[in-house]
Amino acid sequence: MLRYLRLVGIQVRASLLLAMQYRVEFVVQGFAGLFWSAATFVPLFVVFGKRPSVAGWSFGQALLVLAFFLLLRSLLDGAVNPSLVQVVEHIRQGTLDFVLMKPADAQFLVSTAKFDPSALSGTFGAFGLFGWAFWKTHHAPSPGGVVIALLLLAAAVALLYSIWILVVSSAFYVVRVDNLSYLFTSIFDAARWPASVFRGILHFVFTFVIPLALMTTYPAEALLSRFTWSDAAASIGGALAFAAVARLTWRGALAKYTSASS
Amino acid sequence: MVHVRELSKVYRVHQRPPGLVPAFKSIFHRAYRNVPAVQSLSFDIGPGERVGFLGPNGAGKTTTLKMLAGLLHPTSGSALVNGFVPRERSVGLLKSITLVMGQKQQLLWDLPPAETFALNRAIYEVPPAQFQDTVRELSELLELGELVNQPTRQLSLGERMKCELAAALLHRPKVLFLDEPTIGLDVAMQLTVREFVRRYNERYGATVLLTSHYMEDVRALCPRVVVIDKGRLLFDGAIEELVKSVKPNKRIVLKLSRPVDGADAARFGEVMEHEPSRIELDVRPDQLQAAVAGALASLPIADLVVEDPPLEDALRELFRRSRTDGADSR
Repeated sequence: MLRYLRLVGIQVRASLLLAMQYRVEFVVQGFAGLFWSAATFVPLFVVFGKRPSVAGWSFGQALLVLAFFLLLRSLLDGAVNPSLVQVVEHIRQGTLDFVLMKPADAQFLVSTAKFDPSALSGTFGAFGLFGWAFWKTHHAPSPGGVVIALLLLAAAVALLYSIWILVVSSAFYVVRVDNLSYLFTSIFDAARWPASVFRGILHFVFTFVIPLALMTTYPAEALLSRFTWSDAAASIGGALAFAAVARLTWRGALAKYTSASS
Repeated sequence: MVHVRELSKVYRVHQRPPGLVPAFKSIFHRAYRNVPAVQSLSFDIGPGERVGFLGPNGAGKTTTLKMLAGLLHPTSGSALVNGFVPRERSVGLLKSITLVMGQKQQLLWDLPPAETFALNRAIYEVPPAQFQDTVRELSELLELGELVNQPTRQLSLGERMKCELAAALLHRPKVLFLDEPTIGLDVAMQLTVREFVRRYNERYGATVLLTSHYMEDVRALCPRVVVIDKGRLLFDGAIEELVKSVKPNKRIVLKLSRPVDGADAARFGEVMEHEPSRIELDVRPDQLQAAVAGALASLPIADLVVEDPPLEDALRELFRRSRTDGADSR
């Protein structure tokens, strides 16, 4: 365990060195991240400009969902996406060989290969949003609600990561997955809205198939004291099941790996 | 150290005729063909041996190396490397082997090689003192100097390969799989890499399995060669034996003080090369003495050398025979 923590440390260090090597890009990316955070409000303003609530959510409450969305989006762009995009390239060029030759868990190595510190700037925006949302709703979260929300957030990160592993695993079979990753980021965009906005089939899909509801809506509801411990347990169980499926799929995909010719 | 028994690998390859219509059809229906890359291959390599692994492009060399390194799962047959089954990719195996590929690199592109070294140190759990020792030794053998502190992308191909070798050997592996480690390098750098592999082998008693298209690498490094074509074993033994069994004739290299007619030289043996000041003749061993005496007596010779035919010729002949045999048996 300690060894893996040390490995993460070294990989983060390498990413920081890299980021600082290209200083201009680092600064530009940081600003782009902040700009993007600001831009996420626009649809919310448009929708709430005409009506006081949408699908039972007030503006302030919807801000909480958006804050979780922004937080996850930053984590996705900063900590998950850069490494896993690299895997696809590794598979295409056959350099995954070097990763598989290492005496450490391959999924761990590829998942922590690269971080993008500039993309993490969005997390500041997210914390600002939390403050604004509580001010708007005149509601301070209960300690229990905060604990549940944090647990759900951890489950959401696990879920997001698992979905990415599933996407990457498909690269072993189809080699090019650029479209799949675009598709996923586009679908993930829907997580900025409270889940009850979606009806019918979309509601089912976003709750059970690609559980966007668990990622942003449920943690927000926990902060609003509308989520119980048993609901939280079920969500965490769901996230763990997703993680197990992702792990099995990854292992199956590795066995399928054909490497690229010399 | 390396035991290979009846090892086979069959690839399933997607087939598609050229053109837009077949491309469109292949979206809905894909045709596959089984391509045998390695077929019933068996050989053993002892500890500390340096073995050349030869064959034309597509012979199955890289596939075999990757099966031995645990990267590819064999379709059938078995392999044992340093007592481990490669496909299980156990920590014990991975810590005792390394794979260097001349056409691919593991160094972090934008950062100095020293960063890759640090990462590998942590992954392989090399104790700090041993790490310092190894880096010092490898730096000395490869003359790395300040190269390790420059971003990889600013290094030349040869400098990069030297750092690649160092990164691949930091954990002091006992088995080295080297796949074209000198490809694209200039003659001086090829020599450096070659010399380094030999010294590493001697210092650590490591087993080396090397593929290369440069026969000079193989001749200089490997007393023994394993030759395959179309995934099948063609030869396994000493280089001299290979040359002797495939090309038993001797080669007489004549340096001439003035040009002579090819027909004049042909009286003493088969003319293999003919330049104004140089002729190479192939002669059966039992006729060697007479041919040398005759040539000395009647040709304007400045220098005369008798040698075995080049390894390249022997290999060419071996592959030609294997292909004709293959065609006959079909």
